[in-house]
Amino acid sequence: MVETSIDIANYVELDRLQGRYVAALNRNDMTAWMKLFSAKPEASYVCTTREHVDEGLPLALMLDDNRNRIEDRVMYITKIWTGTFQNYRTRHIVQRISAEQDERGHYRVLSNFIVMFTNDQVGTASVLTVGEYVDVVERDDAGEFKFLSKTAILDTSVLPHYSVYPI
Amino acid sequence: MDYLFLARVTREDYVVMTNLDFEWPSKVNHVPKELYTRPDLYEREIQRIFRGPEWHAIAHQCEVPGNGDFKTLTYAEMPFLVARGSDGEVRVFLNSCPHRANQVEVRCKGNTTRFNCPYHRWTFANDGRLIGCPSDDDYEPGFDRTDYPLPRVRHEMMHGIIFITFSSEVGGLPEYLGDVAPFIAQAMGGDSNLKLLGYQKVRYACNWKVYGDNDIFHPPLLHRALSMLNWQSAAGERASCPVRGHLALKAELTPPPNNGTLKDMSIIREVGNDETSSCAVILFPLFVITKHLSVINLRFASPVGPNQTEVNYAYFARCDDDEETVIHRTRQGSNLLGPVGLISMEDAAIFQRTQIGAGTPGNMVFQKGVASLGTQGQEPPFSNEVHILSRIRYYREVMGM
Repeated sequence: MVETSIDIANYVELDRLQGRYVAALNRNDMTAWMKLFSAKPEASYVCTTREHVDEGLPLALMLDDNRNRIEDRVMYITKIWTGTFQNYRTRHIVQRISAEQDERGHYRVLSNFIVMFTNDQVGTASVLTVGEYVDVVERDDAGEFKFLSKTAILDTSVLPHYSVYPI
Repeated sequence: MDYLFLARVTREDYVVMTNLDFEWPSKVNHVPKELYTRPDLYEREIQRIFRGPEWHAIAHQCEVPGNGDFKTLTYAEMPFLVARGSDGEVRVFLNSCPHRANQVEVRCKGNTTRFNCPYHRWTFANDGRLIGCPSDDDYEPGFDRTDYPLPRVRHEMMHGIIFITFSSEVGGLPEYLGDVAPFIAQAMGGDSNLKLLGYQKVRYACNWKVYGDNDIFHPPLLHRALSMLNWQSAAGERASCPVRGHLALKAELTPPPNNGTLKDMSIIREVGNDETSSCAVILFPLFVITKHLSVINLRFASPVGPNQTEVNYAYFARCDDDEETVIHRTRQGSNLLGPVGLISMEDAAIFQRTQIGAGTPGNMVFQKGVASLGTQGQEPPFSNEVHILSRIRYYREVMGM
């Protein structure tokens, strides 16, 4: 892959996309979350673990490898699971590590994340997970940056709590 | 063969060793909530169940497929090392040096011909033999390396599933599993010929019995995906083993047509040539095998303390699957039945909510399928919660309660 450095304006735009992503998840706003992915059928969201990546295991915690599955996930959370789980809010702390452009013009962005969660009722906060985002970002037809794919690779091979929302 | 045995007493002895202050209601379907919260019960459970005359599933042999492959894990607060020796034989050891108890292997998985304890450089072959220990001329008189192998744990395999016990008394696996044994192969799609796809590992803030006592009455009620998809549960064959509350269920599923709820219907499609579309085996105390559509899932669960349970959902393909089937099992396994699954996420939530509620006084009352309030056994039909009472009856016997 030919990688070229990118100019500062694109960094700003990539960070703005990541900021919207974080804001959507921190508000548990699944519709806003979904809109940050490309409208193309091959848009994907994958949440897996470092253990799986290292061992080459294909299974994931969440494997939405097409646009329909991303939309279905929103439906699970907003229509199917409602009323069953103890709601919690998250704070995603994200740090961009690198951003490069490939020969197709897509941006490949690596970031660290820490996700803290606070159970609404209990009120105390703990670490839900830490890890790395591997993002492929495209500019869509309207000129906006969208995730063509987002892969959250968790260092936490054992989740300390069930996960309702994407990471 | 020298195994490490910790169960000093047999199950028959337990009956007379009752000194717990615990009152059972006279009605068989009333179960005190404190059963799920008391730390003193937990200590006895570790001794009598997890270190006692029961078999516990800890891994599948396809997780250590090649000679020299190993895997470490913790089960019921004890560190284990599962290793396939250079001779191809699978063995289970305690992950602890027989010298000064130091944890021998720190990797989760790997391949090695020898295990090395760095503390005083004791070295073990991958079959457990002690093959190196510096300065042993100065050890105790008569020191013999053959007296200090890695501690072996008794194990047996059924269709590649590795079960361990610390008891010399408990019978072999076929006897232990009884009538549910034939269902195990069906729950794995035919036989032991599996290939690991990956794990979903999670800790639930609940007692291991809250996780283990999940009934088969709740699914159409709790799991709204089933009703939204208009997916009726199918009737089928059932087996239960009245001795320990083991249960096996088998059914042929007919996935519903697309009613617009899902945009990607592949999550409930069945692909592959498995003989059975749905089969579940639920063993005392904690092991569950689920075959549902194309998902083959072994749920290795372990208590982590009185109020915490870790579940490692391990997913498999079959070795004879074509590429398309492997991909389908991977995609379905990831999203359908695990801790973040379409049909099952709610279970995770309910485990923790039940634990919170179990801190209040009084009894849980089991209702669905309870035909009489006597102490006699109840035969469990489908879709009820009576099978949990069989588990509890056996638990009382083991615990001397």
